[in-house]
Amino acid sequence: MQPVIQFVDVVKIYPLKAGDVMALNHISFAVERGEFISIMGPSGSGKSTLLNLMGCLDPPTSGNIFMSGIGVRAMNDVELTNLRRDRIGFIFQYFNLFPLLNVIENVNFPQMLKSGKDVNPDKAKEVLHAVQLEDQFYTHTPMELSGGQQQRVAIARALINDPDILLCDEPTGNLDSKTGSSIMELMTELNRKGATIICVTHDPTVAKYSDRTIRIVDGCIAS
Amino acid sequence: MIFWEIAKRNIRIHMLRSSLAMLGIVIGVVAIASMGILGNSLVATVSESLSSVGDSVIVSPYTGGGGGMMGGGGGGGSSVNLKITDQNYQQIKRAVAPNVAIPVLSTSERMKVGVGSDDIVATIYGVDPQYIPDLKLVLIAGDYNNGNSGCLVGSTFAEDHNIKVGSRISIGSDGEKGTLRVTGIIEERGMSFDLSTDSAIVATQDWFDNTYNRNDYDQVVVKVKEGQDTADVKTIIEKQLNKRDKIVSVTDSKATLASIYSTFGTITTFVSAIGGISMIVAGVSIFNIMMMSVNERIKEIGIMRSIGTQKKEVMSMFVYEAAIIGVIGSVVGGILSILTGYAISALMLGSTKYLFTMANALSVGEGICFGIVVCLACGIYPAWQAANLNPIDALRHE
Repeated sequence: MQPVIQFVDVVKIYPLKAGDVMALNHISFAVERGEFISIMGPSGSGKSTLLNLMGCLDPPTSGNIFMSGIGVRAMNDVELTNLRRDRIGFIFQYFNLFPLLNVIENVNFPQMLKSGKDVNPDKAKEVLHAVQLEDQFYTHTPMELSGGQQQRVAIARALINDPDILLCDEPTGNLDSKTGSSIMELMTELNRKGATIICVTHDPTVAKYSDRTIRIVDGCIAS
Repeated sequence: MIFWEIAKRNIRIHMLRSSLAMLGIVIGVVAIASMGILGNSLVATVSESLSSVGDSVIVSPYTGGGGGMMGGGGGGGSSVNLKITDQNYQQIKRAVAPNVAIPVLSTSERMKVGVGSDDIVATIYGVDPQYIPDLKLVLIAGDYNNGNSGCLVGSTFAEDHNIKVGSRISIGSDGEKGTLRVTGIIEERGMSFDLSTDSAIVATQDWFDNTYNRNDYDQVVVKVKEGQDTADVKTIIEKQLNKRDKIVSVTDSKATLASIYSTFGTITTFVSAIGGISMIVAGVSIFNIMMMSVNERIKEIGIMRSIGTQKKEVMSMFVYEAAIIGVIGSVVGGILSILTGYAISALMLGSTKYLFTMANALSVGEGICFGIVVCLACGIYPAWQAANLNPIDALRHE
């Protein structure tokens, strides 16, 4: 079976006036379906760059990235955007829900992007059940929810289009430790049910939940 | 669609800001449309009072380069070049055939209506009765005058001096020029190039000749038949009579009308252009709030783009926002401009009967369309900028 994500000799260089910065230096690795991987490394190690490349927000300078076997290097903006919509679920540190939309609408948003029209909220409710958010909050706006609840909504939004992979950027970084661990337990459960999860973090307690940890130092994989 | 919904909600949560932008558009549309309405009503008013003119060419004695007007004295005392001689008239008549050339005499005279009333001064025209139908003088009472001492009077004159068919008017101080009997009252004609009859008396040419001892004319009115160009007739007359010396000046009613209308058109355009400036100001304010809207939502745009929203979808969200402001503002402006047009017409023209015309509907429509177009045009760049933000930078934006 094809890996969900495969990096082949990926180099990322940021051209700056003061001189080029090599953020990723010939990186190769693969993530198999059903894996729960954490990516750790100090600030400036290239963690965020790696995340942006995995999320198809930024193309590699050289090398190539394959998402379920499809090379992203040759794709244009429209194709990359559709790829993000259909195959990747993003989970952010600051939840990043849309303040103008209520819970159901937030969760439905990627589904509406995909279908191009209004959709039945049944699937959103189903996913919200899976992330254990109670029914009474469904018509609330994000501002009326606690941090943990917001992150559950964000996870539900990431899951709605049945992505190949969940990409998490410090998912517990803005939560207290108790709520954080409940979110991580939810992630573990989703992983048990088959979700592929990549979690970028510098928190060792988060990394503990993963099957394997990739350490980045100075743009290279250390272990 | 969800982006339409987001645009609507964003306008709603920034109600004050959005309303102010709409107000700008409202003012712009009202300025343009109500100026248009004023111009149209003005033209309609003027053309109604000019409508009886028809196609005519007026030949009057040449008075020199902008020189003296005709004296009020009458009675053949003035210098000869201020009259059109019978010989000239015959020349004109031959030149313009088969069009009718109507010789007209006129003078200002003192007169009295009824015993013991005050002297009044009015114009008396002398016209051969056979030409009355050609001049299109319509009577609202009485009959065309038969006999020498009969006359027609204009409707304004009749109203002002309480004259009815059968009334008698004594002409000259103490009636020294005799008495005229009113046989008919002429319908209101408004401004006219030939005979301004509303406040005047039309007597027979014979009476005029006898009373004032005249054998020449003050003007000749040529009624141009349908299908013939007034300008051609004017040229023919000028060629015939002004061969050596300039004896007559010729006015072409059609050309004069055209220049009057084109002047009104220019004024309307100019005034509407001033309204257009307020629309530009409104456009700038739309541009401003759209830029603000984009700037405060950079992070949101970053999130949208990262979870799979296309550039054109982001763009559509902002275009919808500008369109909502534009359409609401313009339609409200359109409604208000009808009210404003009503007020302006009532105040400046004293009448609102020209308000509901095709031309005014067009002016309001133009104003509304212009408002919407300005809003969209001013929303496009901010929307384009939003769509083309780098998602990574936008996500990192605080």
